[in-house]
Amino acid sequence: MVCKGFSRCDLISYLTKCLFLFILALSSGMIVASALIIWKMLMCVTGSESPVVVVLSGSMEPGFKRGDILFLHMSRDPIRAGEIVVYNIDGRDIPIVHRVIQVHERKDTGEVDILTKGDNNDEDDISFYAPGQRWLQRHHIMGRAVGFLPYVGWATIIMSENPLIKYILTGALGLLVIA
Amino acid sequence: MHSFLYRANALLTFSITILALMCAMASVSDNFNSPSPTSEVQVLNINWFQKKPDGDDEVSLTLNISANLQSLFTWNTKQVFVFLAAEYKTPKNALNQVSLWDGIIPSKEHAKFGIHITNKYRFIDQGSNLRGKDFNLTLHWHVMPKTGKMFADKIVMSGYRLPKAYR
Amino acid sequence: MQPVGVTLTTMMDWQGQKLAEHLMQLMLVCFAVVAFIAGYVLGSFQTMFLIYTAGVVLTSLVTVPNWPFFNRHPLKWLDPSEAEKHPKPQPANSGPKKKASKK
Repeated sequence: MVCKGFSRCDLISYLTKCLFLFILALSSGMIVASALIIWKMLMCVTGSESPVVVVLSGSMEPGFKRGDILFLHMSRDPIRAGEIVVYNIDGRDIPIVHRVIQVHERKDTGEVDILTKGDNNDEDDISFYAPGQRWLQRHHIMGRAVGFLPYVGWATIIMSENPLIKYILTGALGLLVIA
Repeated sequence: MHSFLYRANALLTFSITILALMCAMASVSDNFNSPSPTSEVQVLNINWFQKKPDGDDEVSLTLNISANLQSLFTWNTKQVFVFLAAEYKTPKNALNQVSLWDGIIPSKEHAKFGIHITNKYRFIDQGSNLRGKDFNLTLHWHVMPKTGKMFADKIVMSGYRLPKAYR
Repeated sequence: MQPVGVTLTTMMDWQGQKLAEHLMQLMLVCFAVVAFIAGYVLGSFQTMFLIYTAGVVLTSLVTVPNWPFFNRHPLKWLDPSEAEKHPKPQPANSGPKKKASKK
């Protein structure tokens, strides 16, 4: 017999659809949550706020080109000349990846004054620091570069410079979850 | 049922995972390289040595730097960044490192070199402590790989001293 | 023999899928090993990368499309005339709907 009106069949199919949507939302949430967990764990393991960074400028060529990825690690070891560090200037949000060329470490406090320079630049980084600032201190440093992968960061650069591509990719990812 | 897209996706993911593994292994293979670099630095001349208006000492040197870093290069080496730093102690600072010169060695052929230069970067102290100062000249190098872990090491050459009076 | 165009649009059979998956994994791993050894011995990272890329392309050509040799044990789909002999049960009670044909 065919169902008539609002009957048990309609209720079941309605509940089934609700369940389906709920599971969909849950699986999308799980993907996002697992990505976040991995990121936070990396932050713990490497001791750095930003365990992986993408090189944005050509100031460290030919060693690091735009689009390369750097793995960072921040240990309590003292910072020494020659290390490639990623630092933030107060008031600027883009981190800079350059090499330490001068270190002055205080005897009493262990505090350190650092001067950096990009390999491909002629001048040191004084012009990047805040006005009146001559040195970087340890608290400006986000991490030391310890490893590197070429070209992989281009996806991030393209997405941040063309928001349209980001929306297209996110939409495609959403479709994959549904399908 | 597997479809065309499913197989293409599986292939792409698997091949990229394997590529990442290969890069990691290439990086690990660098550990089997045991390098034996040599270097020698001579301070040919102290060009001038004075106290700047803001109170910091500055000195200009002519150096002869020769080194053989060929054993550092492996198949996974992109370039070697080499620099010479003057290292010394002062009453206030436990350690000062000032880079005097740096260079990039792009390949093994260029890794054996000798150059005659004045210091590329200014040798300025934090204060006025350089008169009669003993200092080390340390040749540092950073091996930058094509993929993976970066290595750094150095050779310390000691026994250099700045003059007792300004010139 | 059906023309290649027709066979490429049909799906693979179960045995073919298993073969394709195993073949893909085996070929990629083999090419990776060969590429790594060649690169290491010759001292050239570029060599390794090129050999591996060639391997990936070859593997994708062999395992991704629906070649005929993946369809040697074709599934026997139920003939449409057969389906009429086994009518769908009516949804008169709250039992689950039964599908008479596979996806």
